[in-house]
Amino acid sequence: MRFGFTEDQLMLRDTVREILARECTPEVVRAVWEKKSPKTPYGTLAEAGVLGMTLTEEQGGLGLDETDAALPLEEAGYAALPEPIVEAIAALPVVAAHGGGAWAEKIAAGEARLSISIGDARLVAFAEQADVFLRYDGKKLYLAPREEVALEMQVSVDRTRSIAVPRFTDEGATVLAEGAEAAELAALVFDRAALGSALFLNGLSRKMLELAVEYAKDRVQFGRPIGSQQAVKHRLADALIALEFAKPLAYRAAWSVAVADPERSLHVSLAKLRASEAARFVAKQSLQVHGAIGYTIEHDLHLWMKRAWALAAAYGTEDFHRDRIGRAILNEA
Amino acid sequence: MKILVPIKRVADPDNANKVKISGDGTEVTSEGLEWKMNPFDEWSLEAALRLTEDGKTKSRVGEVVVVSIGPKDAVATIRQGLAMGAERGILVEGEDKKLDALVVAKILQKIVEKENPDLVVLGKQTVDGDSNLVGTYLAEFLGWPVANYATSIRTSDDGKTLTIVRELDTGAATLEVKGPAVITTSDRILHPHAVKNGVTPDDFAYPESEGGRYASLKGIMAAKKKPVEETSAAALGVDAAPQVSYVSFKLPPARSGSTTFVESAAELVQKLRNEAKVL
Repeated sequence: MRFGFTEDQLMLRDTVREILARECTPEVVRAVWEKKSPKTPYGTLAEAGVLGMTLTEEQGGLGLDETDAALPLEEAGYAALPEPIVEAIAALPVVAAHGGGAWAEKIAAGEARLSISIGDARLVAFAEQADVFLRYDGKKLYLAPREEVALEMQVSVDRTRSIAVPRFTDEGATVLAEGAEAAELAALVFDRAALGSALFLNGLSRKMLELAVEYAKDRVQFGRPIGSQQAVKHRLADALIALEFAKPLAYRAAWSVAVADPERSLHVSLAKLRASEAARFVAKQSLQVHGAIGYTIEHDLHLWMKRAWALAAAYGTEDFHRDRIGRAILNEA
Repeated sequence: MKILVPIKRVADPDNANKVKISGDGTEVTSEGLEWKMNPFDEWSLEAALRLTEDGKTKSRVGEVVVVSIGPKDAVATIRQGLAMGAERGILVEGEDKKLDALVVAKILQKIVEKENPDLVVLGKQTVDGDSNLVGTYLAEFLGWPVANYATSIRTSDDGKTLTIVRELDTGAATLEVKGPAVITTSDRILHPHAVKNGVTPDDFAYPESEGGRYASLKGIMAAKKKPVEETSAAALGVDAAPQVSYVSFKLPPARSGSTTFVESAAELVQKLRNEAKVL
């Protein structure tokens, strides 16, 4: 059995990596943070087929699955892409297959952005940028256009990912499903978004660790690079271990979602929980290694760190996923 | 129009600091390095793709064949070229360290004679060897005209006649060239108006870009089905014995990293002359 990624999947990763390296530099992320409305690579990603990759060929996509999307989403995290790519990849197949084809087409083409509000989640992310919201209210799953949703903007720890408390009405809604079907689809979208967030978090962790390692090599104190000190070295080693244990869980969850494994939700929770814990841990180690400079808003670390903090709580907090894992292993409903 | 584009895989130039020298100092080792398409070749491939498409509709109006010489896994670089839009690939198996510019040019000559393209468009040099010889050697062997360091290529009759702007130290030279020809490109070939083929509308501008086009996901999927022919120098009847051998390699000396502050320009000059010994 082969557990590695295919040559095609590595090429997909390389394409996304190249796009983001050129068009999603830390300067772009910082400009979004500072509300300067820079050009982000959202359009380029759409043009390359990334946003619509999980749509079927009939729906204008490539018929790829979550295992194909895994590495591109990790790359998006590595670049701290300030766009709702997790939401697009998580929701589009459901939206397109259940009567939301026109919106799916626009989102896949990079002409619209989608945000997700499932169940009793109080906040929606990318509230300022979203053109449409995928909402599940416990009875029906529907698309609500931005102009029909009242948004009460909130202060986000990550200013590149604006948040708001939404108030939905039925005006202009496109109902995708109702009853048991809606619940099932909403659960699928939720798991896909949690999985996407886990992959994104692992990308953020990789970048934060890289920043810390580079800094530890460059920063000289007492006549030697701080990375040569055991206390710093061990801190970085622990961060790498946390990340390396989080990654395979996310890849397994991607496979489980792709093949509709009956234990899909358990695997997604394992992946999201461990990715969130790892990202918060790596952020802390990176901050410690950077010392005072890491606390400043001028340093890039905070752009990655705050996204990690924000995403750790998105699509299920650590407590939520720990509880779901507990219930699954105890065979509770 | 049919264009042959030679592409070489090189160690990722963004990680050049990871390049290592073997223990005996006789070669550069490739362990742990990621391979990338030589950036100059990527730009030449982009130019070739622009010459063989309607830029506005992106419909193909010609054929681009990419050729690479190297070990079996160099096929990944060919696949990248195919994913960008080239129609076919050719891999000539060879060992990196046994390839010098002359051997490469001789192999390419045989490929050109077999493929009979209208143009050969290649990067002016590779970022590893930096020898800047292959294009000129190849043109000489073929008896074709060569235009090096092209910053603009225009043709309206499938490369039978070309107007090429070359970059010179002293400015730019505009040439009228009769195809078939060998063209080597510089990065300015990526300028939005640098390539015109008589099919793409004259007022069409390509987006500003630092490199070749991205391989779209659709392109990557399509690349799997595109043919890649495998051959070897021996099968092409080329004597692949290199004429150049490397005696030794040395990494540049490590920088001290110390910074000295000076009070005046006079002191700076004195230190540059007496301590750094660069004046």
